[in-house]
Amino acid sequence: MPSPSGNILIVDDEATSAIVRAVCRRLEDEGWGTQVVSKEEHGSADDMLWAALQAIADHRPDGVILDVRLGDYRDDQFKGLDILKRIVGEHPRLPVLMFTQYSHGVERDTVARSALQVNAPVEFIDKLASPEEVALRVRRLVGADTRTIAIGERIVIDSDAESVMVRRDDGRLAPVQDVGGRRFQILLELAQAWYRSPGNLVSFDRLERYLDGDDTRASLRVRIREIKVAVGHALGIPLGANDFIVSVRDRGYRLLPPRE
Amino acid sequence: MAIVAERRITAYPWPALLGMAIALLGLLAMVVAVFYPAEFLFPQLWSVQPLAYVGMAAVVLGLGLAVGVYAVAQVRHRNGNGYGGADDWSRLTEQQFETFQHDLGRPMRRILGKCREVRGVLATTGEDVSIVVHELLDEIEEQAPSFRLMMANMQVMINLEIPDAPLDTYPVEPSAVVSRIVERYTGQASEQGKDIVWWAEPEQFGLVYSDAAVLEHIIANLVDNALRYGGDEVEINVTRSPANFMVKVTDNGTGIPAHYRTHLFTRGWTPEMGRSEEKTSSGLGLYISRTLARRYGGDLSVASALAPADGHHTTFTLTLPVGSPVAH
Repeated sequence: MPSPSGNILIVDDEATSAIVRAVCRRLEDEGWGTQVVSKEEHGSADDMLWAALQAIADHRPDGVILDVRLGDYRDDQFKGLDILKRIVGEHPRLPVLMFTQYSHGVERDTVARSALQVNAPVEFIDKLASPEEVALRVRRLVGADTRTIAIGERIVIDSDAESVMVRRDDGRLAPVQDVGGRRFQILLELAQAWYRSPGNLVSFDRLERYLDGDDTRASLRVRIREIKVAVGHALGIPLGANDFIVSVRDRGYRLLPPRE
Repeated sequence: MAIVAERRITAYPWPALLGMAIALLGLLAMVVAVFYPAEFLFPQLWSVQPLAYVGMAAVVLGLGLAVGVYAVAQVRHRNGNGYGGADDWSRLTEQQFETFQHDLGRPMRRILGKCREVRGVLATTGEDVSIVVHELLDEIEEQAPSFRLMMANMQVMINLEIPDAPLDTYPVEPSAVVSRIVERYTGQASEQGKDIVWWAEPEQFGLVYSDAAVLEHIIANLVDNALRYGGDEVEINVTRSPANFMVKVTDNGTGIPAHYRTHLFTRGWTPEMGRSEEKTSSGLGLYISRTLARRYGGDLSVASALAPADGHHTTFTLTLPVGSPVAH
């Protein structure tokens, strides 16, 4: 079943751990579909590897999260790397996120370099990472070509329908009037940047591509104000200078989900 | 341990062997002395064949030399800064750290796992528990990033002690490194009502030749500090010149007074020490960061504006060479 964000296969070498469960829940909340291949069902490591490769062939996931022990003991390290190598060998373009003990030690890079001679989209993440961090990494690794982006609890942006919707008090989504055309493109650009990496700002230059005229900077300011007025009106709360779309020190704008 | 014990003796092989040789010659002389009666030589001076005295002296001297050399090797090794000792020392600490990070990391992951499990159970059962329970769970989870950074700092410290460690550089995308760090700290920051914003100039920043782990480590330390001691906004930006690339981490805190700035990069110093309070961190982060930056041919510096009129802030600037591809 296609999910709005994509499908993620999780390979877990233990009985499904609390961390994996929490990550699954978080991803599902964000609209990802998840499948889990765990050692619980597949006895040995070889069976698990086979099951994982089979699941990749069957489900064609958009990304894989590997939680096979890497780094606990020297022997296990190589076992974990074997699984990674096999997956990368057969699917060199499939993004893989692998749990390790400590993601920013010097050792991780050494391990990664020795494991992968190919230029595959593989990243490592600390096992102590929060589910939120895992979800953020998955978004960036898999790419953010999502049709709908939820910003906070109440705002949803639908790129296919080119519309912005706001959840009303009764829980229904209602389209926001007056955010179409260039205004929508500007908002979408900001939303996509935020979705990939919260905190990443979009430069003025990038946003001004959607505008023409002599003073694109000024006209961008006007458009941003119009978006904020329209969304604020639909939300029923006024959006101030530091809400929703924020200007950062003469560099650009960034999106900030309205605080509840 | 076996490696270390073996190395301790072999650290000074020649003086020790010389000592043993002298002692053996001495023994030989004492044996020879038995066959030469004392009457032949200086009877008025010696009641025993003098060669025996010479032999005994040589034995004492030789054994003394051998034992002395061994003792010096021991002491130097224990201090960990001796010639040939440092290598063993970092090897030993490295081994111990591995055990340590395994033994500490596992319970930590368990605790966090259980913590998430409790949250999951609370969410699915919809049970109405006291807000205090949620606050306690938050508290536990908030400690995780500090713990991760502490573990990483210790590991890097050990790696720094390895003499002549190779400085390999590989293609690195600095903007990817920055976004990884933002991912890690975003949750913690928003819990505290703080904001992290970043940009790269040019936007398509491209590659540099450096060490991703080192870069990530330094920036993580700077961001961690900014969130800990700065204001409510942290700004990270990455820029480049033909020869170098710069990562600036700015916070809008009250700034760092000049008399503190001089101590910032001192090993083990924390702002609490200046106020005679209890330390809340190891004080290793900036020391390690600057050491690493310099080792890779760059530097780490700090500038701080204290006057409210200037919009007080603190900026740490990491400069590293852009580098060039090296054949491996």
